[in-house]
Amino acid sequence: MNIHHHESFQHLIDESLAGGIAAEREQFLREHLDTCAPCQEYLSTSKRIIAGLGGFSFEVDPSLNARVLASLRRPARPRHRRWALISVAAVVLTMSGSFVDLQFGRLIGSVFDIQVQQRLLAFWIVPSLCVFLLFPLLPLLSKAGIRREERTL
Amino acid sequence: MESDTQQIALGLRRGDVVVLEALVEQYQYRLVRYLIYLLGRRDWVDDLVQETWLRVLRRGSSYDGQSRFEPWLFRVARNIAVDAMRKRRMFSLDSNDDGGVRPAPASDEPSPFTLAARTEDAERVARSLQTLEPVFREALVLRFQEDFSLQEISAIVGAPVSTVASRIYRGLATLRPQFKGETA
Repeated sequence: MNIHHHESFQHLIDESLAGGIAAEREQFLREHLDTCAPCQEYLSTSKRIIAGLGGFSFEVDPSLNARVLASLRRPARPRHRRWALISVAAVVLTMSGSFVDLQFGRLIGSVFDIQVQQRLLAFWIVPSLCVFLLFPLLPLLSKAGIRREERTL
Repeated sequence: MESDTQQIALGLRRGDVVVLEALVEQYQYRLVRYLIYLLGRRDWVDDLVQETWLRVLRRGSSYDGQSRFEPWLFRVARNIAVDAMRKRRMFSLDSNDDGGVRPAPASDEPSPFTLAARTEDAERVARSLQTLEPVFREALVLRFQEDFSLQEISAIVGAPVSTVASRIYRGLATLRPQFKGETA
């Protein structure tokens, strides 16, 4: 038998071990193995490797289970409180920015003798109100994002 | 009468901590073993295990109970491990580089596999495992330790069945030289 002949059977052995072989081909392989020493050795080595993979005993920290269980029992941090804080911070920052900008605009207006207050109101106060209305919706948007991610699990 | 998987799904949907505690007891060692194979290191594993169970608690409602629980659990653990690796800028498990061996991490400490080897064959395997690509190690542990089918492994790792099979063959081929010239 030539080397290519063995190689094809050895590939069949790999397929068999991986669990992706039909019963008919499995029977064909068994018949070959009965008469082929090199392929028997290949199978034997493969089985030793698999046995070797099962010969590990990993130590698990005895406190790990307790830590995991404690973290599971701990009440989840309310997400809404976090979002509420973020919302308040965003609104305060935006309004403060608007206020500073308004004062700066007044100063510029007085220097160049132009009326800019109405425009500043339109450009800054209205977006600030939009942000104020948008932020409470973020937790809902976030939840939708989580659901989408779970579908890919 | 409800099947086990449906009971698990129901428990997870309700966020039932008693159900989760039973799952932790049942699957903890297997999760630890899988993550060690995946990462090739021990020091991150405990944190990732803890994070895995927290995610199971928070997002358990996405398990529908129609298929086995274990592949779903391992998929969650894998996602967390991959995210952790990306955050720590180590390497990507899903890189297109699908071949060859990777140099062992620069460390004089024995690998987790060397430390855990309890048989002569395991010691031989341990010599090559540390330098094996994580995706190959992962395929080997999922097939030969967890006894998952190729389809289940495919669902866990998010790769086609043919790719999973190929990883198993190549993983075995890489470990084979440690046994060269010996008969059972």
